[in-house]
Amino acid sequence: MRLKKLIFLLPLITIFWSNNSFANEVNIYSHRQPFLINPFLEEFTKKTGIKTNVVYSTKGLAQRLKAEGENSPADVILTVDIGRLYIYEDYNLLQPIKSNVLDSNIPMHLKSPENKWFALSKRSRVIVASKTRVEENTIKRIEDLAKPEWKGRICSRPGSHVYNRALMASIIAAHGEEKAEKWAASFVNNLARRPQGNDRAQVKAIFEGQCDIAIINNYYFGKLKYSEDKQQQKWAEAVNLIFPNQEKNDRGAHMNISGGGVAIHSKNKDNAIMLLEFLSEEMSQNLYGKINFEYPVNPSIEPSEELAGWGIPIEDKIPIIKIAELGPLAQKIIDRVGW
Amino acid sequence: MVSNQISLNISDQSSLDVWRYIPVILSVILLCPIIGIIITATGDSDGLWWHLYETVIGKYIINTLLLMCGVSISVLLLGVGTAWLVSRYEFTGRRIFDWLLMLPAACPAYLIAYAYTDFFEYAGPLQNLLRYFFGWQSAQDYWFPEIRSLGGAVFVMSFVLYPYVYVLARTSFLKSPSSYYEVAKLYNKNSFFYVGLPIARPAIIAGLALVCMEVISDFGTVEFFTVETLTLGIFNVWLGMNNLVAASQIALVAFIFIISLLVIELKARSNRKFSDSSQRQTKIERIKLGKLSHLATFFFCSLPVFLGFILPVCLLFSHSLKTNYHQDWAQLLQVVINTITIAGLGTISIIVFSSLTAIIAFYRGNSFINKLSNLASTGYAFPGTMLAIGVLVFAGFVDNFYSIGLNTVIGYSSSGFLSGTILMLVFAYTVRFQAVGYGSLRSGITQIPQNLVDASYIMGKPFNETMRKIVLPLLKTSFIAGGLLAFVDIMKELPMTLLLRPFNFETLATYSYQFAHDELIEQASLPALLIILAGLVPVIFMNKFLREIKV
Repeated sequence: MRLKKLIFLLPLITIFWSNNSFANEVNIYSHRQPFLINPFLEEFTKKTGIKTNVVYSTKGLAQRLKAEGENSPADVILTVDIGRLYIYEDYNLLQPIKSNVLDSNIPMHLKSPENKWFALSKRSRVIVASKTRVEENTIKRIEDLAKPEWKGRICSRPGSHVYNRALMASIIAAHGEEKAEKWAASFVNNLARRPQGNDRAQVKAIFEGQCDIAIINNYYFGKLKYSEDKQQQKWAEAVNLIFPNQEKNDRGAHMNISGGGVAIHSKNKDNAIMLLEFLSEEMSQNLYGKINFEYPVNPSIEPSEELAGWGIPIEDKIPIIKIAELGPLAQKIIDRVGW
Repeated sequence: MVSNQISLNISDQSSLDVWRYIPVILSVILLCPIIGIIITATGDSDGLWWHLYETVIGKYIINTLLLMCGVSISVLLLGVGTAWLVSRYEFTGRRIFDWLLMLPAACPAYLIAYAYTDFFEYAGPLQNLLRYFFGWQSAQDYWFPEIRSLGGAVFVMSFVLYPYVYVLARTSFLKSPSSYYEVAKLYNKNSFFYVGLPIARPAIIAGLALVCMEVISDFGTVEFFTVETLTLGIFNVWLGMNNLVAASQIALVAFIFIISLLVIELKARSNRKFSDSSQRQTKIERIKLGKLSHLATFFFCSLPVFLGFILPVCLLFSHSLKTNYHQDWAQLLQVVINTITIAGLGTISIIVFSSLTAIIAFYRGNSFINKLSNLASTGYAFPGTMLAIGVLVFAGFVDNFYSIGLNTVIGYSSSGFLSGTILMLVFAYTVRFQAVGYGSLRSGITQIPQNLVDASYIMGKPFNETMRKIVLPLLKTSFIAGGLLAFVDIMKELPMTLLLRPFNFETLATYSYQFAHDELIEQASLPALLIILAGLVPVIFMNKFLREIKV
């Protein structure tokens, strides 16, 4: 008798606790912070009436999706950095999708060959150099940072940070493992201090005179330049922004992406695709520039005014998936040279 | 975390003791996520160990050891020192220090690291002031310790972690039988080294164990300071080389290491036991201090409060004023409510789990059950994200089993009841912070006089009544101490909450982190301040409670 009661109680408990998805929703696992994606999601809901639910975490969402298996409520994955996106494909957690909108909005080299993930915005890894202590046009390529003349003058965040790892991967792709490691060793040898802090901190260090050169993501320059903190604006004013490898016949500046895909067991697949399409269209593509100083992936959209103000880089057009594939090797080199 | 020696036990010990099943079952449940990590760790690590051995693992191990030693020494000095002073001496502000000294526990270490870096670094206000004052021009003109370093990490962690030792040691000092102190006085022996320290040893070690586990599992602070510890290595291997197998293996090695330390300590003290049935009959007479020692005592107690609480709070406050980020107050209020609710639920769960395992294992369990219960309280030694993955593996398994089972039995389809729910989050907190409740209770149990328990048995009272009437009331302070630490721990917990929470669910820690992650300390400061403020609630509650029972 008791057992029977219990069995009937179970579904009730399940309904109470369950993570079952409801109609007209889309459930998002996001590696991007809520305050950065919420403006997009609000516009999306306004336009389509589809409610969005978000879990944000920097790490481990792929493991969560994997552990949940078929029961997973997740529909869309949004990430920053190609390495993270690639892990989802590697674990077979994404499904291929057919969408004419995405096909026409996103260039071939910025999506997975099987249409499982798509880049939604681009960011460039750039060099910043002190306006007063580094003469203009002396640094033109990322390779230049290995030259002995910069000994004790470069600041950097740790090599194992995703952005530096991706940069390292792009150098391996361009020169091969051996030469890339040589570059990294000389680069580390040029560092003014133990790798530390984040990208903002490197610009601050140049402002304070602790070093003269640093590598940062382009949007940090924008965030400092337009910061509500006057002090931070001064940091940005102290440096020149250099897009590396821009000369004719050179490969262009290393680009990383933010992107997304549809979860393999998505229960709201149509809504999920609709969200990705929305993010690749004009309004969202403009929003990436406005909110976070990122470049649009959609070739028909111009970068925001602020971004265009510092020049538009020629991009390293290597298929972005290569960067992800070379990531583990890049980390090994970083370990070996102690970056 | 104390090995037991059950002295005479006159109760009816039937061969089939039902009570014994409780700690065994609960411990096994708590161990499931750790088994999840072990499952993750089995597999091919692609020869990565050789690469690690050749390059970074030595550095990781040395840094981890240095960090642990540095923090251990300073939390012992700070925690035991202040606990001894406030419980044995009378000085200006003692009653306030009593609870002020607990406050740093509410400060999340990684946020303090952010605030302190801003304050102590070359470009920070302190060095600017020094340069202005002494006329130095550049970094070459003077020496100043680098905050983003191993030493900086020791500094920051020590001042937010010492309360673990303080709270437990203080509880133990206050409960120490005063007759022992009188004997020491009679023989002119130092009452700290001959009485206080030996009696409080289980409590101090329990606190220190918590600190060591926290240090070995910390990611936020070491990442920010770029101190290359094993945990930083775990994340480099996992996310950098896309190799979760090798990452879990490193986590297990670190885990085994810390467990061995604990076992060594348990062995070393297994034959000591102190208790006195006359406790609380004579009130502790606090010693009055001379002028100079009065001043020194005051200063010594102020230092951790200032560096662990007042300065960080001021820094965070001044940062929070600098932003004009549009704050949605209604949302923030919801976040506060979420945080307190989840911390409350988690604390209740921890108290239930830890009391049922600690007490029953001690009074009814054999050596195996005790070891199992001890082992079940070691989830704390894993980095939060790792443990979260273990929880995910376990929850995924349970849900899968449940939904398939339910579907075949009554044809109802469900996606399970654990994954992505509040229930899973509460379970995860229990696994992680079981050590906090369990350690506090186990060190409390060692101070309960066995003759009281025996007397109750002789009166023919059954086990449950003996526990309810004798043991539980005597453990009140341990319950409160453990509950308090668990509550503030959950409130500031970040990595597990971040990964395991339901959709659209924010706590103050996750809310603050989305800004902190983007190095926006100004926006991150307000929610961080709220964590600390909310941490005041249980501290004040505990203080009031302890006053009432007049320990």
